[in-house]
Amino acid sequence: MILQGRVVRKRVSTGSKSEHDALVLVTPEGQEYKLRRQEGNPFRDPELDALEGKRVECEGIVRDGQIIMTRWTVLA
Amino acid sequence: MPTGRGSLCATLAQLPSSDNGFRRPPDSFQSTGDTLPGSNMTTDKVIVTNLSALQRKYSTGFQRIHDAVGRLIAADKKRGLTTLVVAIDSAQDMRSVKGSPVTKASDQRQVKAAIDAVWKAHAPDYLMILGAPDVVPMQTLRNPAHGDGDANVPSDLPYACAVPYSSDPSAFLGATRVVGRLPDLVGSGNPAYLVSLLGTAARHRTRPREDYQRYLGLSAQVWEASTALSLSKVFGNSTALQTTPPRGPKWPDAQLALRAHFINCHGAPSTPKYYGQPPGREEYPVAHDAARLKRKVSNGTVIAAECCYGAQLYDPEDSKGQAGICSTYLADGAYGFFGSTTIAYGPSEGNGQADLICQFFLDAVLDGASLGRAALEARQRFAALYTHLDPTDLKTLAQFYLLGDPSVQAVAAVPHALSRTRAFKRTFKGARTTPGARAFRRERLARTGTNLEHSLGSVRAIQARPPVHVTRALNAAAKESGITELARQSYAVSFPKAASGGEMKHFAAPRRGRSVYLLLGEKTESRRVKRVVALAATVQDGAIVHLRRVHSR
Repeated sequence: MILQGRVVRKRVSTGSKSEHDALVLVTPEGQEYKLRRQEGNPFRDPELDALEGKRVECEGIVRDGQIIMTRWTVLA
Repeated sequence: MPTGRGSLCATLAQLPSSDNGFRRPPDSFQSTGDTLPGSNMTTDKVIVTNLSALQRKYSTGFQRIHDAVGRLIAADKKRGLTTLVVAIDSAQDMRSVKGSPVTKASDQRQVKAAIDAVWKAHAPDYLMILGAPDVVPMQTLRNPAHGDGDANVPSDLPYACAVPYSSDPSAFLGATRVVGRLPDLVGSGNPAYLVSLLGTAARHRTRPREDYQRYLGLSAQVWEASTALSLSKVFGNSTALQTTPPRGPKWPDAQLALRAHFINCHGAPSTPKYYGQPPGREEYPVAHDAARLKRKVSNGTVIAAECCYGAQLYDPEDSKGQAGICSTYLADGAYGFFGSTTIAYGPSEGNGQADLICQFFLDAVLDGASLGRAALEARQRFAALYTHLDPTDLKTLAQFYLLGDPSVQAVAAVPHALSRTRAFKRTFKGARTTPGARAFRRERLARTGTNLEHSLGSVRAIQARPPVHVTRALNAAAKESGITELARQSYAVSFPKAASGGEMKHFAAPRRGRSVYLLLGEKTESRRVKRVVALAATVQDGAIVHLRRVHSR
């Protein structure tokens, strides 16, 4: 699946054992997907930090509210 | 639509001729049990599966699975269990239980009705679901902790309950059935994995408790105190507790080889790793890695994992071919894995939710329960702790389940002295336990589950503002705790009608006015770390009777 949107940092899994800050892709329709690299650390992945605040296009598998990315491009 | 093909449950005389490439099963498949009306024989264990889904998935490799199931049935017979396979997609099989065949493998409503029909016809002591959710789906329940990131909760809990299909988790408070799932790999067409798991179950042996008394206890460092408390309750000590950081994920072989594993780490969907965390820092080093488990796990290992998504069955292709930790443990010879399908809960200090249900499972296993009975007792003990289940308690009950053959008894029960006498041995012909004793246990479990179903309350979200004094109390608690408010939610607590009978009638009137008000807030612990804190006020007849603060972990 290919998705576009803006990357924001927000608190996810709130109140649970694994609540944490994560980078989330917000699409123009308002849908939110937690960003993750395939084989990347799902909780904190420094490689993705540079995407915060950027508009990106990413490709990957959508599972349980997250997109497991195999490719991504910064649009702006 | 399947019409009578592959009637694994049938006796040889009932089996259809080989008209669809499904060959006549070996003698080991011959059912020795028949609980249809008029019969005086019983079925101890039923294996339910969707035969056409298995055949589609494995094509020519299906025969290997078929033969492995036959070997499991033969092994069960040797240990005194009569096992029957019921194909829920088979018209013939389902006719024999007065049910309707499943015409679409993913139709959860059909599958629930089919399994209920199987249960009603046979009332087995063990029900084993054969296959991952792409063979026999889990039931999708609404997430009672809405807003935590999970759209819903895939669950096997409904299969353990007598009430009919529903997507409302509060319909399934009274589990009565001993159920486990022996999974294959989602999306895989290689039969070797499932054949291996069936072989492990067929060859299993019960070991003395000493073999399970030493444990591998893994914890995210941030939860060290909570995990230590859990280990002390289950094993009597927490001296072997390991935390990440500083250690992991390369655990010594000798530690991985221990047969009881208790894990309290972070987990994430479609991930073959669990993660640790130091206190007060947003760092998540790898604590446990499926790739490091191969050929390190001892035959017979039993695992309870509190982790979010700790027992999620995902397509290994999501993770470059690496199956999840739960699947990898089972492939390496573990007998059972008790874990969660989704985001799990627990308090920051002490024990709660995931801590408790995992403790209860291992506790029962160590006491000599079959894995399936241990899972059922864990559900019942957890639910019985409360007058009503709040949203996170309800999610906990729904999300934890057993992977493994439910009839496997990993740990031998400690026998009483009388069992060593000649008179005892003569009376029971040398057997340590009897089907009659198991029947008593099932009766007790059915009674407990039925009582829970008829007496336990649960919450439902409502659009109502809290009374002024409740708002004031929550605001004061939030201020004193240094919490910045994020959201508020009100819940009504409702009870089944039967919960007001007998002595309980004294509680009926005040209970009508019971409600729960939640204030979700954020507390800054350090420059980078903010924690969500939930303040919950339980109100009865207008008075606050309970105020608790639950920290996220």
